[in-house]
Amino acid sequence: MKSKLKRCITAIAAFAALASLGVSSAAAEGAPYESYNYDRWGDAIPSQAGYLPDRTVSGIDLGVGAFDSPDDIFFDSNGLLYIADTGNNRIVVTDKDFGGAERIYDRFTMPDGSETVLKQPMGVYVSAEKGLIYIADTENSRILVSDMEGNVQQVMTKPQTDVYDQKRTFLPQRVVADKAGNVYTVLGNITTGAAMFSPEGEFMGFYGANRVEPTAKIVSDHFRGLFMSDEKKANRKRTVPSGITSFDMDGEFIFTCTSSTTQKTDTVKKLNAAGKNIFADKELYFGDYKPIYDATQNKMFSPSMVDIDISEDGCINCLDFTTGRVFQYDEECNLLFITGAVAKQTGGFDHAAAVESCGDKLYVLDSSKDTITVFRETSFGSIVHEAASLYNDGYYEEALGPWQEVLKRDGNYRRAYVGVASALLRKGDYKGAMKYAKLADAGDIYNKAFEGRRREFLKENFTAIAALLVIGIGGLIVVGKYRKKRGTAVKTEKKEAEQL
Amino acid sequence: MMELTQKQWVRHAVTHPVEGFEDMRWKKAGSLKIALIVIVLLFFGQIAYGRLYGFQFYISYDKTFNIVPYIVRSFVLFGAWVIGNWSVCTLLDGEGTLRNICVYSAYALIPYVVQLYLNVILSHFLIRDEYVFMQIIELIGVGWTAILLFSAIKSVHQYSFKKTVLAVVLTLAAMFIMLFLLVLFMSLIQQIFIFISTVYTELSYRAKV
Repeated sequence: MKSKLKRCITAIAAFAALASLGVSSAAAEGAPYESYNYDRWGDAIPSQAGYLPDRTVSGIDLGVGAFDSPDDIFFDSNGLLYIADTGNNRIVVTDKDFGGAERIYDRFTMPDGSETVLKQPMGVYVSAEKGLIYIADTENSRILVSDMEGNVQQVMTKPQTDVYDQKRTFLPQRVVADKAGNVYTVLGNITTGAAMFSPEGEFMGFYGANRVEPTAKIVSDHFRGLFMSDEKKANRKRTVPSGITSFDMDGEFIFTCTSSTTQKTDTVKKLNAAGKNIFADKELYFGDYKPIYDATQNKMFSPSMVDIDISEDGCINCLDFTTGRVFQYDEECNLLFITGAVAKQTGGFDHAAAVESCGDKLYVLDSSKDTITVFRETSFGSIVHEAASLYNDGYYEEALGPWQEVLKRDGNYRRAYVGVASALLRKGDYKGAMKYAKLADAGDIYNKAFEGRRREFLKENFTAIAALLVIGIGGLIVVGKYRKKRGTAVKTEKKEAEQL
Repeated sequence: MMELTQKQWVRHAVTHPVEGFEDMRWKKAGSLKIALIVIVLLFFGQIAYGRLYGFQFYISYDKTFNIVPYIVRSFVLFGAWVIGNWSVCTLLDGEGTLRNICVYSAYALIPYVVQLYLNVILSHFLIRDEYVFMQIIELIGVGWTAILLFSAIKSVHQYSFKKTVLAVVLTLAAMFIMLFLLVLFMSLIQQIFIFISTVYTELSYRAKV
């Protein structure tokens, strides 16, 4: 008892020391926020940082003059960073170490030989397969497809079909292209999804619209609509889903995000080639679990995902404008790290606009500070990434070592308990798997481990159980017979007594 | 005929859904002590159901433990049922006394209580694929208790079938009203308490000077 108490106290003291160490070390590294993660009940708890701010880079550092509200960045397959410098009407290309500008695209040669300039380009994409640059030339209402030398190959403008409402503007804000050369573009004030163009530049329709969330209001509006005249219906407020804000391409899948703060469903989607959302049936939640309440403005701040990026190892980085945080998820949408804040210092953002990843670094573009912030992976982050990618590829046992290392560094890291439990289950250590599954709050893993443990237990103790059963049943029969006998005896006695 | 001890009466009432409570009434049997034990067991059963369930089925939020919901789900609900039924059936020419309503209703709850404990124990032996057994047990327990409760009200007040249905519906309404008033009363008391404490704080600051 005493030793237990003592052990408890030492554990608490050690934990306190560790916690204070962790906080102070994070502060020493210069992040203007304390990193956190979520525990198994969805409460925020302090955690080790997966990324730490390294430096910020401005246009002046690159020797090309200050950026003016840049809106998008993109890494091509050669590690070159394309910056859509919106206010300066140009695309700046630099290497990933920011040694200086490799190239600036501000003039393009049209197929007929004339020159053309950009006007507020908001999105840029480079296709590795085709060697082409795709630019969302927003204020010119067109998408430019150019080769690396600045010769325009193709121009996509407002489609002249019935499918596209001609009263609406055509303001491309983000653009991606798939391997086949199909071009997808996010348009301002269009909520029916991304516009899709064939490699020949023909409009093919819309792709991946968001769903309307079935809130109580919409359900009641629907029923009220049943009793309304057509005229009245036409004058009602319409419920439309919010449009896509940004997207990124990963192999055959397109990931989209939506910055609407009122929308809870479809904030992040993984679309296949047919435009079907693979995340739709999973109960996933992106961003902070609890919206932040600001008492000075009497407002709730819900997550607003303005950009999404898929890193090379499949991690999903979502940039939340409201909190200035990058939420990193693994392929299975388990939260790995939360990085960043709204702050003035390095590592904080005023107006976070775009996120990209290259190797073990994260790049976040701030369109108000006009800088790019570079986050580098910590050693903790690299262990978690290694473990998560092994785990997601099905190498549970190989992931055991890294996960245990993660737990050594951060005992609150829930994902690691899931990893250890799965590895132990695969190994056949059911008892250990049960223990870790319990800590991870993973009922399904626990269920499997328990099934195995029960089978093991029955096998080991079969003779004892069988013997107990036989003895028990035998005993019951004997007792029953005895009671019956006694019962009849009592009855006859009673009868005799009555007769007397 | 029917010379049974109090313990045997419990068994008789539970295993004879139609006649059991009639016999009990005829023989003026039923013990308040046993009724109280059943309700206490219900209370602990609810706690076990909420906290000690097998981990493969249900994950409890064990950061904090709040006993109030469990008290409400056992003592308060049962009390509201008994008082509600008594007040309704006094107006509907019921013959049951408060004591009898309490005893009979508690006896009727036995299958439900047994089901709670059985399921908690089974949840540590079964896996998710075998959950259907626990569902069956739960279904039987709840159904049996419902039938017994109906039969108990019917015999304690000597009602016809139709009138019992009416009484049960009215009792549920009465329970609802009572609980509503209780919540209203509590929040009012809270407001008054806050008012008094504010006045006190204010005075204590002024009185110092």
